[in-house]
Amino acid sequence: MLIDHLEILHFRNHHKTVIDWAPHLNVITGPNGAGKTSLIDAIHYLCMSRSFVSTSDMYVVHKGESYFMIKGHFQGQIRSQFDVSCSYSRGEGKKIFVNDSPLERLSDLIGMVPVVTLTPDDKKLTLEGPAERRSFIDGFISQISPAYLRNLIEYKKIRKQRNTLLQEYRGPLNVLESYLEPWNVQLVEAGSKIIAKRYEVLENFKEYLKKDYAMISGMDLSTNLEYQTFCTPSTNVDDIKSQYEKELDRVLDKEIEREITTVGPHRDEILFLLDDFELRKYGSQGQHRLFALSLKLAQLHYYSDELDDLPILMLDDVFGDLDLHKTEILLQALEHHKGQVFITSANPIPFGNFIDFNDPDNQYYTVQNAKVTLTNRP
Amino acid sequence: MQITSEYLEQAIEQLAKLPGTGRKSAQRIAIHLLKQNDEYALKLANAIVNLKEKVTRCSTCGNISDKDPCNICENPKRENGQICVVEEFNDVYIIEKTNEFRGRYHVLGGIISPMDNIGPDKLRIQELLQRIGGDENINEVILALNPDAEGEATSYYINKLLKQYEVDVTRIAYGIPMGTELEFIDEATLSRAFASRNAF
Ligand SMILES: [Zn+2]
Repeated sequence: MLIDHLEILHFRNHHKTVIDWAPHLNVITGPNGAGKTSLIDAIHYLCMSRSFVSTSDMYVVHKGESYFMIKGHFQGQIRSQFDVSCSYSRGEGKKIFVNDSPLERLSDLIGMVPVVTLTPDDKKLTLEGPAERRSFIDGFISQISPAYLRNLIEYKKIRKQRNTLLQEYRGPLNVLESYLEPWNVQLVEAGSKIIAKRYEVLENFKEYLKKDYAMISGMDLSTNLEYQTFCTPSTNVDDIKSQYEKELDRVLDKEIEREITTVGPHRDEILFLLDDFELRKYGSQGQHRLFALSLKLAQLHYYSDELDDLPILMLDDVFGDLDLHKTEILLQALEHHKGQVFITSANPIPFGNFIDFNDPDNQYYTVQNAKVTLTNRP
Repeated sequence: MQITSEYLEQAIEQLAKLPGTGRKSAQRIAIHLLKQNDEYALKLANAIVNLKEKVTRCSTCGNISDKDPCNICENPKRENGQICVVEEFNDVYIIEKTNEFRGRYHVLGGIISPMDNIGPDKLRIQELLQRIGGDENINEVILALNPDAEGEATSYYINKLLKQYEVDVTRIAYGIPMGTELEFIDEATLSRAFASRNAF
């Protein structure tokens, strides 16, 4: 999948920008704050219906304007050509159009244009709490399985209803139990499907991670993942369901007392291991950085094998952190990857040596004060 | 700006509260009404008053009606042993338009949703059980609730209560809307349609 044309209006520091993209490597350099990240964040909106930088749509509207609008033209294998546009205004909220027809739900967009992003924020994946890792794996699987995303949305809603019931209900215990039952059944149904899918994907993902960590680190340390949930995970949904039902039964009194749902995939953890040592506890800063980088490269390679269309890859400001040797390894990997890649960097130096800008499939852009200029090479 | 008619202003204010009506459309409607003859305005005013004063709920099925029991509950031809359970009276209206269902209805008056502070006790579920245990000779209860988490919870709860009665409990099949191409169906609808597929 690739985007060959992008138009943005009133988005972050861009007032109006129209740009044609190259099918392989797109390198965007310029000073900090010039509007490099905004360009790829706009593309991210067309893939995931949201920013990878800001948590609120409101904050990405250009100062003094009341709305933003992003429009892109895509080419792919499954659908040869299509347009995606995204508009947001405070009054109307966010709307996504595919070929000018509105999507009923924003979530219907996810997976249409698969995307993998590498950003300095990736360090949170290995350093911070389990919520970061759940959100990584959820975004990962949602792009390749619409059923998974649907289950996630359902599960969240069911859990919210169930928690409200636990918090608000004042009355006889046996009545509460009969009120909980319809939610328990659905919680188990959606939750078990989520766990089975997480397990299935993570089992396969392990192998990708091993390869990519070895490639980027050039070292012999072996990586591993351990998926931890309340039961023995498996790919058999019925098997998880029966364990889930038993566990809900077992913790019922505790849940009533604490007024919250305590069992389910919303409490899952993924342990990262380096030669059987837990990275979070024992990893060096360098190992953390390389592990996070490998997670995203492994996602890229997993998607590339799994999907008919190659994902779009974005690297936002990740080269500043790498030494020349790692930069070379990473750029070689990108050169090798057949899909479309976007690279932003404040420092233009490394790219000239490793990327062939005489190849018409690659393009070099500079950004100054939200004005984009096409240049032949750094 | 100087207001020359308080009454016009009041009418606009009330009209602007209608769903989908902003102040601008409210102004247009008020000015339109002002230009009509007296008879029309009176008819409209009466229709609104009657809507509130004369439309009531059928004490049997909970549907809206001008009299109690409603036309459907009163009609002996609709006594075929089937009861269709719906969330609100507008669902009755929609199903009636299809002319497919010849039994009677039971309007719950809502759907189980703890977040909206609606538990089973706030719905007309006891009334449903009374009808089934009563003299209507009901042999099938058809659950026609929305296929979302709240609809599922409500269906599950009612189905469980009905196990103590000798009635069949069925639910409407969820399928693919007519005239829609498969490509445009979302995955959840499609998998439901597969699950409830029937023999060709
Ligand atoms: Zn009635």
